[in-house]
Amino acid sequence: MTITIDGKRCTCEKGEKLLAVARRNWIPIPTLCHHESLPGQASCRVCLVEVVQQGRSSVVASCVYPVEDGIEVYTNSDRVRAERGMVLALLRKRAPDSQLIADMCRLYDAPDLDRVKVSVPGKCILCGLCVRACTELSVGAISTVNRGVTKEIATPYHEPSAVCVGCGSCASVCPTGAIEIVETADTRTIWDKTFRLVRCARCGEPIGTEEELAHAARKGGTEPDTLCERCRRRSMTDVLAATYGDRE
Amino acid sequence: MQIDMDEVLEILHRYPREKRHSLAIMQDLQHHFNYIPREGMEALAEYLECPLSSLYSMATFYRALSLKPKGKHIIKLCDGTACHIRGSVNLAGGIGRLLGIGAGETSADGLFSLELVNCLGSCALAPVMVVDDTYYGKVTLEKLPEILNKYREEAAG
Repeated sequence: MTITIDGKRCTCEKGEKLLAVARRNWIPIPTLCHHESLPGQASCRVCLVEVVQQGRSSVVASCVYPVEDGIEVYTNSDRVRAERGMVLALLRKRAPDSQLIADMCRLYDAPDLDRVKVSVPGKCILCGLCVRACTELSVGAISTVNRGVTKEIATPYHEPSAVCVGCGSCASVCPTGAIEIVETADTRTIWDKTFRLVRCARCGEPIGTEEELAHAARKGGTEPDTLCERCRRRSMTDVLAATYGDRE
Repeated sequence: MQIDMDEVLEILHRYPREKRHSLAIMQDLQHHFNYIPREGMEALAEYLECPLSSLYSMATFYRALSLKPKGKHIIKLCDGTACHIRGSVNLAGGIGRLLGIGAGETSADGLFSLELVNCLGSCALAPVMVVDDTYYGKVTLEKLPEILNKYREEAAG
């Protein structure tokens, strides 16, 4: 089927999400809580766009909106800019310390919203992507806690988690860098828990925490890695070279 | 307070080991202990083979579940619209003066917990107060000591 995005005709298939079609056609739509590997979070609403279908216009979240034949999409119309600006203004109140959101607010002339009180300082917009990452990719050490204005992301009982392996998946998917992760030469501290870092047996680069490597090994039914990705590839090359006798 | 793990396990084993029963089990734990002890949460996570964090998330989300010990008697003071305009806030103040607690707190003797709740659906009786399962309608500041003393005397035996 064919849809039109900002005047450009785009071919797509049934069931595809609008955001994916737009990005494939090099049409930029800003997002915060969208992650390629964890799609469908749909909580930040920054990706909203205007969809016109049979003369009727509505504003939808493009990351979860399944395309329909013949729709016309506007990713940067006046209405979209105004609504996206409001979404960003509210997110700025939620995460006043995020430089990224402040910059986006400037881009969209977001209103100040003086009447809205800032409840907690910080960078977290409570999109929950970190919780998904931890639950689906790792061990489920964090979750949303409480609700309404007191909602936050935390470990159970606000104590260092018994199950966290320190993989840092949560921090790596966080769109605003709200999760603090501190690394020294041989330790990594995250969620108030400190882990020992393991170094590559060949080049000495840190490859992860002991618990993280053990967890991955348990999941994959293998021995824990001792080499970094580069050295692993290099050692494979060595084996191939030795086999075929073509070294140097 | 020492938690009897046999009691916890008895409650868990009333249900199959499926995650969809987690809320029901937590409600039973809440009902039995008047709160959900940490031991219960950890045992439940193990029983259902699910992360403790997901249970903690639920337990902190629902008002009906509490992770802190509650008093022997739970006072639910309605602060719905009808009760509100008939002075439920004054009653909360009155209870506060009598028991020395605010909403969400438990008295020092462990006898009462006060909860400010939304509409209890008995607006004709406004302002309404429910202690455990007993409804008290058209409550006034004057009636409060009498109602509360009944539970105190009961506890004193």
